[in-house]
Amino acid sequence: MIDLKTRIDRFSDQQRMIQESAASFFSDAGNYKRIRERRGIAPGYDQSVWKAMADLGWLGFWLPEKYDGMGLGFAEASLLLEQGGRALAPEPLISAALMAGGAILHGDNEGLKAECLPRLMAGDWKPALAWQEAESSQQTESSSVTAVAQSGGFALTGSKYFIPAAEGADAFVVAARTPSGTALFLVDKGSAGTVIETHPRVDGGFFGTLKLAGVRVSASRCVASPGMGRAVLDRVLDEGRLAASAELLGVMSRALEISVAYIRQREQFGRPIGSFQALQHRAVDLFILVELSRSVLAHGAAVFDASPDPARRAVAASQAKARCSDAALKVAKGCVQLHGGIGYTDECDIGLFLKKSMVLATWLGSAAHHRRRYGELVAEAV
Amino acid sequence: MDEQAFRLEVRQWIKENFPEEWRFPPHRLSLRQTETWQRKLYEKGWSAPNWPKEYGGMGLTAYQQISFQQAFDAHGINIAPNMAVTMLGPLLIRYGTEAQKQYYLPRILSGEIRWCQGYSEPGAGSDLAGLRTSAVLQGDHFIVNGQKIWTSYAHEADMIFMLVRTDKEAKKQEGISFLLGDMKAPGITIRRIKNLTGSSEFCEVFFDNVKIPKENIVGQLNQGWTMAKSLLGSERITIGSPRVAKYPLQLLGKLAKERGLMENPEFRAQYDALRLDVADLDATFVRFAEVLRRGEELGPEVSLLKIWITETYQRVTDLMIEITGEAAVLDEMLVLADGAQVHPANHYFASRPASIYGGTNEIQRNILAKAILELPG
Ligand SMILES: Cc1cc2nc3c(=O)[nH]c(=O)nc-3n(C[C@H](O)[C@H](O)[C@H](O)COP(=O)(O)OP(=O)(O)OC[C@H]3O[C@@H](n4cnc5c(N)ncnc54)[C@H](O)[C@@H]3O)c2cc1C
Repeated sequence: MIDLKTRIDRFSDQQRMIQESAASFFSDAGNYKRIRERRGIAPGYDQSVWKAMADLGWLGFWLPEKYDGMGLGFAEASLLLEQGGRALAPEPLISAALMAGGAILHGDNEGLKAECLPRLMAGDWKPALAWQEAESSQQTESSSVTAVAQSGGFALTGSKYFIPAAEGADAFVVAARTPSGTALFLVDKGSAGTVIETHPRVDGGFFGTLKLAGVRVSASRCVASPGMGRAVLDRVLDEGRLAASAELLGVMSRALEISVAYIRQREQFGRPIGSFQALQHRAVDLFILVELSRSVLAHGAAVFDASPDPARRAVAASQAKARCSDAALKVAKGCVQLHGGIGYTDECDIGLFLKKSMVLATWLGSAAHHRRRYGELVAEAV
Repeated sequence: MDEQAFRLEVRQWIKENFPEEWRFPPHRLSLRQTETWQRKLYEKGWSAPNWPKEYGGMGLTAYQQISFQQAFDAHGINIAPNMAVTMLGPLLIRYGTEAQKQYYLPRILSGEIRWCQGYSEPGAGSDLAGLRTSAVLQGDHFIVNGQKIWTSYAHEADMIFMLVRTDKEAKKQEGISFLLGDMKAPGITIRRIKNLTGSSEFCEVFFDNVKIPKENIVGQLNQGWTMAKSLLGSERITIGSPRVAKYPLQLLGKLAKERGLMENPEFRAQYDALRLDVADLDATFVRFAEVLRRGEELGPEVSLLKIWITETYQRVTDLMIEITGEAAVLDEMLVLADGAQVHPANHYFASRPASIYGGTNEIQRNILAKAILELPG
């Protein structure tokens, strides 16, 4: 199968380098045997791979050079994340580095930035973002989790759900309601009054629930001051949505490649099943979805790189997440069908792609959610 | 001039010059119906956005052509594409003789000669290379016999660019030539065909010993297929333009607003999905256009644009019918509050051939399966 990206898209030298080094990194560290072996084992990813990523500087791919990060644009970062998606890599580059780390970066606590960002980049310390308060809610104004002012700090109470990589996290960036709006706090793992519950996911990873019962946090651990938390969350969530779209693109494009290779080789009725027009047309329809996703992602990355304007970014993030979530699920399901019975077995890799697509497609808002959001954000030209 | 200023100029000029009563027409207008407008475009030098400047075109990049076209769409301009501009011109510029270029190109621009495309035949549709209309060289003329069908606007055309069989013995692709014929020549009979909307845009064209001067061949004898293929390529990219669905989507929005459906969650879910289907094709189109901007060629991958946008267009008209209820089957215009007229059924009908002409969507899928996915035959 011809790779359309190689055929029609052009990349800068830097982009090519990132793509190549990511492709070779994940081809070593990311074979599907590794993914299988990690399934169901906490924390759901490989600390040694995480460290290796740190050595390459990747944990700071999103971090400005001022903080010794790589300072990649989104056009470049998507190439890296796409390769991670192809390898089904479970390491929390998006949730821990880009999003939880990003919340610290975009907050207003310079002391915490100086303390946390270098350790995060070195792979020695990992934060998790604890923002979500209910299933299917993308609401960033905290309500049920509260922060009550106490002498020299706050007391946090309530529960946060669906936290990726909660098990391995050293600290949580927790969003909570204060009288003057949402604020973000850094809560260390094991702080008095915290309980972490982990729930296994279908893809072998975990979501965590963080329960807070009057957890004391000193004012110096406030990541984003009251009133500012929501804007910071909105920013990192939209960045996460675009980044998750890039991973989804990697997942679906690899699934399609595997399946096209399979139908070329599998024979029935004395010929390769890939010669049957019904399967050819199905494969083409999946291919179209992959390419639409790739285009939308490139468009989204260009919007993000051109402007920090939250309104424009929100539209681009929703457009990308809507298409990539929908396409990845359709592609993965279509690929199971192209495989026949073997596609329903645990032994066949294609199921790993379906499960990864399910996790990424629902995380940070489903396709339906983002179509709705896009519809609300973009005035119709009538 | 910078792009922004140019865009503004285009919008302003269209506003001042396009007849108000032709905006958002219930049927696509023909070139002949809109002759006065074509004339204005010509005088402005805007007839051929895609041609190089040295041939009287605007020399716009593919990128610029998209935004140029967008200004027209946004104003509710819906006129049948000029196939001589989109297809014949680029082909003449590439393969024509000096004399052909000098004679025909200015006359395409000015609209003095109107053209139709004679490829399909009753026995040669998807399998176009199976065409049988024959041309035999006798002295200074080709003598043409046979039949073309589905020839759009043949009844309005002064000339036809056509594919004919000039070698019956050769492999089917290797015996085809490309000719330019006069529609007034003796021996040509045109029969209009009524389509599902009740109008007749396409025709049958019969050739009975029609004489075409031998200098009216474009390219070499028996080289017609190669040229036709390059021409079909450019046709496919135009058919894959997001505009195909944008205008109907806009009408759908107007209809829905008038019916108070914009707050209806069930409608909104479908409508917003369609808006994204179009917006996402926009992003894909820009990505493909970028290849052209670099001066490189697009290959079989353009088929994906065509498949996606025509099927999106059909989903748009499905929803148009759905929300109009029984009124959708009335053979009458619905007049909207802003004066726009909509005939939902006609849009529903008009979206059918989108997946048929320019190579059916099945053929496009075959192309992608073979040429891009490299699946076995
Ligand atoms: C509105 C309109 C305007 C047109 N204007 C022009 C014009 O100006 N000039 C011109 O030359 N032609 C024109 N055409 C003709 C158009 O190009 C043909 O209709 C088209 O190529 C299909 O050919 P056909 O109609 O013979 O259908 P067929 O080829 O008979 O196809 C019938 C069905 O079979 C399917 N099919 C055929 N072969 C295969 C295959 N190998 N695999 C899978 N499915 C297959 C097709 O997809 C289709 O669904 C026009 C057509 C329309 C509808």
